[in-house]
Amino acid sequence: MADSPIFGLLSGRPLRLIVAAILLINGLFPALWILLTSLKTDAELTRTPITWLPHAPTLSNYATAFSDQPLHLFLFNSFMVALLSTVLTLFVSVLAAYAIARLNLRYRGVILSAIVAVSTFPLVTLLVPLFETMRALSLLNTWAALILPYAVLSLPVCTLILVSFFETIPRDLENAAMIDGCTRIGALFRIVVPLAAPGVFTAGILAFVNAWDEFLLALSFNSSPQLRTLPVGIQMYQGEFTFPWPVISAALIVGIVPVAILIVIFQERVVAGLTTGGVKG
Amino acid sequence: MTAPHNPRFAWLTDPGDRGLAIMLLAPLALLVTLIVVYPVLRLFYTSLFDHSLTSGLPPRFVGLQNFGLMLDDPTFWTTLKNTLLITLVTVPGALIMGLAMALMANMPFKYHWPVRLSLLIPWALPLAFAGLIFAWFFHSEYGVVNDILRRFGFQPVIWFNSPGWSMTAICLTVIWKTSSFMALILLAGLQTIPRSLYEAADVDGAGKLRQFWEITLPLLRPAIAVALIFRTITALQTFDIPYTMTAGGPGGSTATLAMYIHQNTVSFLDLGYGSALAVVMFLLSMLVTVLYLRMIRARG
Repeated sequence: MADSPIFGLLSGRPLRLIVAAILLINGLFPALWILLTSLKTDAELTRTPITWLPHAPTLSNYATAFSDQPLHLFLFNSFMVALLSTVLTLFVSVLAAYAIARLNLRYRGVILSAIVAVSTFPLVTLLVPLFETMRALSLLNTWAALILPYAVLSLPVCTLILVSFFETIPRDLENAAMIDGCTRIGALFRIVVPLAAPGVFTAGILAFVNAWDEFLLALSFNSSPQLRTLPVGIQMYQGEFTFPWPVISAALIVGIVPVAILIVIFQERVVAGLTTGGVKG
Repeated sequence: MTAPHNPRFAWLTDPGDRGLAIMLLAPLALLVTLIVVYPVLRLFYTSLFDHSLTSGLPPRFVGLQNFGLMLDDPTFWTTLKNTLLITLVTVPGALIMGLAMALMANMPFKYHWPVRLSLLIPWALPLAFAGLIFAWFFHSEYGVVNDILRRFGFQPVIWFNSPGWSMTAICLTVIWKTSSFMALILLAGLQTIPRSLYEAADVDGAGKLRQFWEITLPLLRPAIAVALIFRTITALQTFDIPYTMTAGGPGGSTATLAMYIHQNTVSFLDLGYGSALAVVMFLLSMLVTVLYLRMIRARG
């Protein structure tokens, strides 16, 4: 088949180039525009008609982004919360996925349905009771307040991805290990997990991005400047009447780059994971 | 250490062993109980109480009074209306745009990575970043949207002064942000459709448009259903983009139900009323899930 059916009129290489250009502009223009804005001076920014390319590119907005707000702390908090919740969710979902994939569970269908049900659960409704609980336990303004909910947020996706990976690993390898004196748990961590490493990694990236992006709980639970994550902290550059857009843009670029690098390197795995897990958008 | 004498071998001969299953599933069950099941029960319970942390009084049982208050609360109705409006506009919007993007991305490109990245980068962008970025896009004086409108000879729009234009900007942003995920799911669905079906249709002389309606769309239906369920549930929870673009303004006209729940909980510390609002949100998304599942089942 030559083309997608909606493009019956045009065909061939020119059409493909046009289509690729449309997709690229749609997907990357917002980030590109923010990058250009971050390189402009205040004087250039308030010129009309506006300029597209910066006339006198400057990096000073990046310095301001780090000095006006503790951007390094926002990055650190986001990174640690995302990393620790990813580790927790991977550990829990590896165990659960192994049970689902390998043991002949009587309630396998029920367990899988329950996991899918959790993934359709509206996070907003957890805000009130979790706020109350975290407040009662004095966990507001701690990493733990976010790590626990974020781990649960990604549990369904990670478990489903891992189940499908574990099912592809031949049982013989495990059996051989156990005959050599390995316990079943030992075989899981020494044989199955290393063999399913691409799956574990895929699940991990999705969990990390989910946690990195979350806003509502981070805004509600961790409001102290020392504990803000990036999506929350980045809202702090604006005053009541002032919007320093070049500085905000610089901070946004700093926040986009780490995940963009992750996505560029592991793009195929991310796509595979998204389509196995059937996750949130 | 020969196999049959090793007591550990029992795990193998009896793979349905309950002890191991319980051990492996316990951490998941514990986390889900702690962070989902218990809070939801707590939510329903608290919604029946007058429970304000600012009053200093202990929670007082009031039955369904919080839900009665809601009926007379104009802000509840405004935020509910905005939430439903955003859902009704952005879910079909993202589906159509996502489908178009998926069909485009499914073309036989020489290199697949640029197209793949153009779908993945918007997906990975935090919603709270997208809200800020598009607030700058739609800036009335220095925004790039108005610049493009001017270049094509249109009147620039003052986006954030009127409820209608603010809502338009919010919906466009939500559609842009969510269509990439939709496209990724639909693209995976497109790639499972066997080419031979199109080849046979070509032989029969069916046009491309007819092939789209009679092959592509029907076979894509499971993927569309999955994407629609998740998109509708997240649309009902819309918070990040309006919060970061307009903060609900002008005059609270673009605030959503999720924003109102957040305000009652975190700002007013009125946990009783916040819980009652969240119960409405919970029931709304349950309703959507059940409706979609019925539809999928009814159509086989």
